[in-house]
Amino acid sequence: MAVTQAKLDAASARLAALDVPAGGWMAAARKDAVARLQAMGLPGKRDEYWRYTDPTALTQVAATPAALFDASDEAPVFDGIDRVRLVFVDGVFDPAQSDDPAAAGVELLSRQGAEIHWAQGLYGVLETRGQTPVARPLAALNTAAATEGVLIRVTEKAAKPINLIYLHKSETSDAILHHCVKLEAGAELTLLENGPAAARFNKVLEVEVADGARFHHIRAQGRDHQRRAVTHIFARLGAESLFKSFTLTANGVLTRNEAVLELTGDDAVAHVAGAAVGDGDFLHDDTVFVTHAAERCESRQVFKKVLKNGAVGVFQGKILVKPGAQKTDGYQISQSLLLDEASQFLAKPELEIYADDVKCSHGSTSGAIDETALYYLRSRGVPLRQAQSLLVLAFLAEAIAEIEDETIAEDVRARLEAWLARHEG
Amino acid sequence: MSALEEIEVRDGVDRETIETVQAMAGKYKHGWETDIEMEYAPKGLSEDIVRLISEKNGEPEWMLEWRLAAYRRWLQMEEPRWAMLNYPEIDYQDQYYYAKPKSMAAKPKSLDEVDPKLLATYEKLGIPLKEQMLLAGVEGSDEPRRVAVDAVFDSVSVGTTFKEELKKAGVIFCSISEAIKEHPELVKKYLGSVVPQSDNFFATLNSAVFSDGSFVYIPEGTRCPMELSTYFRINAENTGQFERTLIIADKGAYVSYLEGCTAPKRDTHQLHAAVVEIVILDDAEVKYSTVQNWYPGDEEGKGGIYNFVTKRADCRGARSKVMWTQVETGSAITWKYPSCILRGDDSQGEFYSIAIANNAQQADTGTKMIHLGKNTKSRIVSKGISAGRAQNTYRGLVTMHPKATNSRNYTQCDSLLIGDKCGAHTVPYIEVKNNSSRVEHEATTSKVDDDQLFYCRSRGMDEEEAVALVVNGFCKEVLQALPMEFAMEAQSLVAISLEGSVG
Amino acid sequence: MLEIKNLHVKLEDDEKVILKGLNLTVETGKVHAIMGPNGSGKSTLSYVLSGRDGYEVTDGSATLDGVELLEMEPEERAAAGLFLAFQYPVEIPGVGNMTFLRTAVNAQRKARGEEEMSAGEFLKVVREKAKSLKIDAEMMKRPVNVGFSGGEKKRNEILQMAMLEPKMCILDETDSGLDVDAMKLVAEGVNALRNEGRSFLVITHYQRLLDHIKPDVVHIMADGRIVKTGGPELALEVENNGYADILAEVL
Repeated sequence: MAVTQAKLDAASARLAALDVPAGGWMAAARKDAVARLQAMGLPGKRDEYWRYTDPTALTQVAATPAALFDASDEAPVFDGIDRVRLVFVDGVFDPAQSDDPAAAGVELLSRQGAEIHWAQGLYGVLETRGQTPVARPLAALNTAAATEGVLIRVTEKAAKPINLIYLHKSETSDAILHHCVKLEAGAELTLLENGPAAARFNKVLEVEVADGARFHHIRAQGRDHQRRAVTHIFARLGAESLFKSFTLTANGVLTRNEAVLELTGDDAVAHVAGAAVGDGDFLHDDTVFVTHAAERCESRQVFKKVLKNGAVGVFQGKILVKPGAQKTDGYQISQSLLLDEASQFLAKPELEIYADDVKCSHGSTSGAIDETALYYLRSRGVPLRQAQSLLVLAFLAEAIAEIEDETIAEDVRARLEAWLARHEG
Repeated sequence: MSALEEIEVRDGVDRETIETVQAMAGKYKHGWETDIEMEYAPKGLSEDIVRLISEKNGEPEWMLEWRLAAYRRWLQMEEPRWAMLNYPEIDYQDQYYYAKPKSMAAKPKSLDEVDPKLLATYEKLGIPLKEQMLLAGVEGSDEPRRVAVDAVFDSVSVGTTFKEELKKAGVIFCSISEAIKEHPELVKKYLGSVVPQSDNFFATLNSAVFSDGSFVYIPEGTRCPMELSTYFRINAENTGQFERTLIIADKGAYVSYLEGCTAPKRDTHQLHAAVVEIVILDDAEVKYSTVQNWYPGDEEGKGGIYNFVTKRADCRGARSKVMWTQVETGSAITWKYPSCILRGDDSQGEFYSIAIANNAQQADTGTKMIHLGKNTKSRIVSKGISAGRAQNTYRGLVTMHPKATNSRNYTQCDSLLIGDKCGAHTVPYIEVKNNSSRVEHEATTSKVDDDQLFYCRSRGMDEEEAVALVVNGFCKEVLQALPMEFAMEAQSLVAISLEGSVG
Repeated sequence: MLEIKNLHVKLEDDEKVILKGLNLTVETGKVHAIMGPNGSGKSTLSYVLSGRDGYEVTDGSATLDGVELLEMEPEERAAAGLFLAFQYPVEIPGVGNMTFLRTAVNAQRKARGEEEMSAGEFLKVVREKAKSLKIDAEMMKRPVNVGFSGGEKKRNEILQMAMLEPKMCILDETDSGLDVDAMKLVAEGVNALRNEGRSFLVITHYQRLLDHIKPDVVHIMADGRIVKTGGPELALEVENNGYADILAEVL
């Protein structure tokens, strides 16, 4: 992709307007990220990788203000779970509302000194690896300018899930968070994230999953209508490790969730899934890049979207199987249910395969609710609204099934049902 | 029942296939060259060359202007590099853009006057230019089927068979150079109306320098009394071939059109940039089948044709139909996306493709289904086979415009890998902008089934035969979409193309 | 129970008229059969009665216990006691068979102002009824009709009928695609549901189903109307002589 002067200028303007933190052991990584960003520029509307999603709101110097949203009609997600709560208000850590991070073995990025730290091997490292073969400038921007984040290193099974709670209290907030999670061999951690975070949110999560380690990730992106977000997950998986990530997105004017997963150890398993529901001014983009670089690995991508009133769903998913990654099992499904004629689904599901003994498949469908199934349900006495809701949840079931914890899955289902009830007609 | 007996060779592989496969021997069998005196235009491309081509074809002024407009546009365009193809820069000045057998200087009035060497060339290729004969390989079929042939040798059409009989039915089948002179009103109306001069780099180059090609017009309500075909042969060295085909099916018309291509073995790459435009009016139907067997280059990737082709059908009328079937086994580089614009309400487009890439071949091929009209339907079945060090990419676009309500698309893309040095890639774009349309896309990638291979080998086939057999089964759905003559040729081509892919 | 008067129906998107003044009365507790050649409008009748989209009623009425059906939504008709056993039961991926059935049972109860069935009670009743239809627990866990054989689908329809306890049951070509054993099993299920308060309308092309589900009244349908009505002997007449004679006589 040609780097135009306009894209370089946009990067310079953005960097100039940011208060790039100085000092700490991250300084070198930040400097490197600034240089990389200045070489690649910010994404433009005509970039192939931004074919279906206009990045302007994410690249422009100032965040577009977003009205605050009252979501108190629902209990906060994950409320019923015994967990470590860490609260960020518009991207700033709030100790008053949080549990003690130190007690849970969590460090904060903003409190780092210059001394050698384990996270030096991670901060910006997976992000840099994830820049080829496709550039992800907004992630480089994040590495350069993140003001806060958590550093978590787990050596065994973590006692409790860690819950990062993002509150949005300022209409003009522009948050950049960067988290590093390192699971040593055999360790296990559940990371929960919820909330809109800010008017504009740029988040990077780098996860190193060592041999035999297990990482579970579940997030709910918050119901604020006007928020805009770009998130990246960069994960590297060791042998026999497990990575599972599920995202629930209800509302949000613009959401681009990128997941860049690299399976580098044999017999690793990576699942990434999402359920997104949107009504009206809503664009939701799942962009996934899974690289199989070892033998007998399994990857699954399951993305479902329910769209109405002009909502737009985007899916760009790729499975890359490198030479020698034999016995790969790669699966990818992206589906949209369009509840009215104004909605759109735009997809580019790709396979790039350089090993022969593989089983890879992808499927992509788009269509309206199945009228015959609807009629069948109604002929058995189920009222129209209930029948629709049942069919929409059935459509989303395969994605929700990726949540292992049944309590959370049930909660997600209930939230989706409530969303559907609110957005009837 | 033992486990072995339960294994079945993939559905549709029959005895006939086995025999055909076994009967095939030798590598690329069309690699010989015809020793014939040629007249060339000077090497390179300039406005003068464009003028010369136009003059050699005795074209009217409007045609020359059309070509020059394309040429000027081309100078400002950049060669596309988005395909998953890796090839060195093409020097467009190091090519001949016009080559013609000397014996064709004064155009023969009938086939009887055509140079016997040329006739022999096509005879050897199995393409008889004598009327009342069948295409090779179908002797013994119950009902002799006649096929009219337009044979294009390097830059010129050497002859068209069955012209008189077709004329009686009102069908016009001739070379495009002839059509420009004899039927200017039709050419003016439709040329460039599906693939505009400025469409893409290669189509624009073609618009400037196309030397010949075929022209078909099927009048309203006419079912073409026989299949029509064009057989392209590149013979001359360092010569690009740029043919242009224009097919018009008027209201309620029907035609089945076949296209075959071969070229001699040469150490250098040769450029082929063709354009095919099809216009289909209300209730008309066109079937277009291609067996592309250009010289693929040797095992090391030396030589072979660079094949950059733009093919597009415009289903302009209501209830119109088009079906593209392609068997792509040749060429060093294939860049080709036969497309359907489904403009008329209730129109239908189908695309069936087999693409085989072996050794150092690279193919990036697929289709576009542009749904604009209501109740439009499309179906895509693509079978890609990669072997050796080859790279094979399916690239496709399905788009449902907001007004294309109640439309349907079904896409099935399957890739087969033979050996661990090759690549198989799938790059579909799916754009759905209304909710009453349904789009389904499925793709799979796998290797040749070991159980099937073992089963075949336990019945006495060697590994190569077994692979060819299983691959033919994998491709059956597409092979069945071909007219019988081509299906036979295609089956044996599958076997030949995969030679050396195992062991 | 069911009373159809002068019913005229055409396709919504098409000028084609399918039902052309159909009259039919099914009394409470009776089993009526409708037989007729292909294209006579039998399936259309069942779809129009159950409220499927795509048809336009241009004249006439259909009442269930005096209440007009044709104005109602499909679910309202179901709650009123109408049940159609589909010729081609619909597959619904993602919706478990058990969930489907419980949702339907409770929706109907709610519509009638009755209390919902508790999970335990529901399970007990389903198991019992499923067992008599040879539907195992595994089939109940699978999505509705997905991957079911032809016989399994039809048995599943009868199970729904047994659970929903409708008063007016329409069986649309329930025998199609079934072998003799499967047909017997389905017929036994239907016969077990026969009682004084429940009526059946059995739509079939062949007489063979009527050997197992004995009708009280047989109607012959042709060209969108009932052209002849008689007792069970009428079905035998069709079996022996085909439709041609009867049609020649009445048309």
